[in-house]
Amino acid sequence: MKDIFKDVMGLEGVHGLLVVSNEGSVMLSKFSPDFKGEAEKLSQINWEPFTIEMGNIKDAELVYDRARFYIKKSETGFLIVIIGDNAPISMVRLNCEVLLPLLTKIQPASKRIGKILRKKLF
Amino acid sequence: MRPNVLIVDDDQTFLRLIQKDLEGFSESFNVLIAESGKSALDLLKKAYVSFVVSDLRMPGMDGFELLSNILKKFPDIPVYMMTSYDKPKTKDVVVKSGAAGYLKKPFTAIELFGEITKTLNKKAEGGSLHSVTLETFLQLIEMEQQTSTLRIVDKKEDRGGVLFFRNGELMNARVGDKQGKDAAYEILSWSNVSVSIEHDCVFQEKIIQGDLQAILLDAMRVKDELAEEIEMEEASVNGEILLDSPLTKANPESSGVKPEPAARDISSKKPETTAKVRPAKKEVELSKLSPIDTIRMKIKNSIGRRDGVLDIYPDQSWDALIDQTSNIGNIFNCGRLNVLYVNREKNEQFIIVPGEETTAISISSDSPWDRIIEALG
Repeated sequence: MKDIFKDVMGLEGVHGLLVVSNEGSVMLSKFSPDFKGEAEKLSQINWEPFTIEMGNIKDAELVYDRARFYIKKSETGFLIVIIGDNAPISMVRLNCEVLLPLLTKIQPASKRIGKILRKKLF
Repeated sequence: MRPNVLIVDDDQTFLRLIQKDLEGFSESFNVLIAESGKSALDLLKKAYVSFVVSDLRMPGMDGFELLSNILKKFPDIPVYMMTSYDKPKTKDVVVKSGAAGYLKKPFTAIELFGEITKTLNKKAEGGSLHSVTLETFLQLIEMEQQTSTLRIVDKKEDRGGVLFFRNGELMNARVGDKQGKDAAYEILSWSNVSVSIEHDCVFQEKIIQGDLQAILLDAMRVKDELAEEIEMEEASVNGEILLDSPLTKANPESSGVKPEPAARDISSKKPETTAKVRPAKKEVELSKLSPIDTIRMKIKNSIGRRDGVLDIYPDQSWDALIDQTSNIGNIFNCGRLNVLYVNREKNEQFIIVPGEETTAISISSDSPWDRIIEALG
């Protein structure tokens, strides 16, 4: 499943990519090697208040001193791309637009585990 | 914008009657008329025409000559030929000449309406998009290597143009009788557009050289230069004094041009493009302004009048979102949150500037928000 993000992650300056469900659970995360250190802090974030605030927002861009977040809402949740100053933002937007329909295939970890357990048990 | 249908015939009585008959379909298209092939070509240069019906026998430029001219200069416009001199092979000859269809006189307005709608529907078989970002859409066409004819309508100025793609490559463009790169640049400079897609392309040969990305970048540059020129002209008309060129400011000696004294008579002189600058004490002046005025000035200085800003106002309702996103940024060591762009459902777009007092900038759908963010970030 992570392969669908290959094009976005392959772009210059893209540090990482997250899919956060509407309920605030991280469904998927992928980081470039140079951002691995920061990625370890992922568990410190409570995404629920963030998803509540982002409720009626289709897409957003957050510009920080040293990075930029590109956020796109899908039916499943939020696609968040963390990029540096040198990233081709229009290509990031375009690739996100393309892969957005594929996000519906991603299920929250809890549902995946449920499926595995059902397969094992029955 | 309703499509324009052009009817060409030297018979004025017929033109008057058919125009009257087609009035009943005025919700579907506008009817334009021309009494000769030459005046039809003149009209095609000026108006964005979607369909042409021409009589075959006309004095001067006949229907075949007009068809040949249209195929050359306006290859995307379907042309129907009509005649009362119907002979067994007339239809074959007409269609082989490149006409999209053939009508035998006399015909009813309903028959003509049927042919027009059938053809216009085909031209939008791939669907229509409204208020799209043209650049993003074209990149998708390129990526998916699509063959299509895109009819673009600039909703702001009520004008139209056509982009031709074959296997994802931009083959040609047309605005009026202008074709090639210039036409592409003109179309790409339009901000608020609708696009209808036809899954076909009349061009086999690539008229526009270079790849799409380079053309898009060039078009952006042309667009910016045009906006700057307009701004300069407006400033000139308003008698605004623009001094301290960036060139002369950077190194007046090396340019060989001495800066002009500030207090000279400029009433009859239009400022040169290179002589466009803001006062040197900009930073000092900015510090005296309110946050909203500062934002307004930054946007005006970097973008000009075409900024698409609808309103700028203090708005604390964004504070919770700013808190959340600032926290996330801190955890990822991204530094301070400088500015946010948000596109809400119902296409409400805002740029939010955090600060002691949060400022919201409401923007229109054709706002160059990327550049505003750059100016404020």
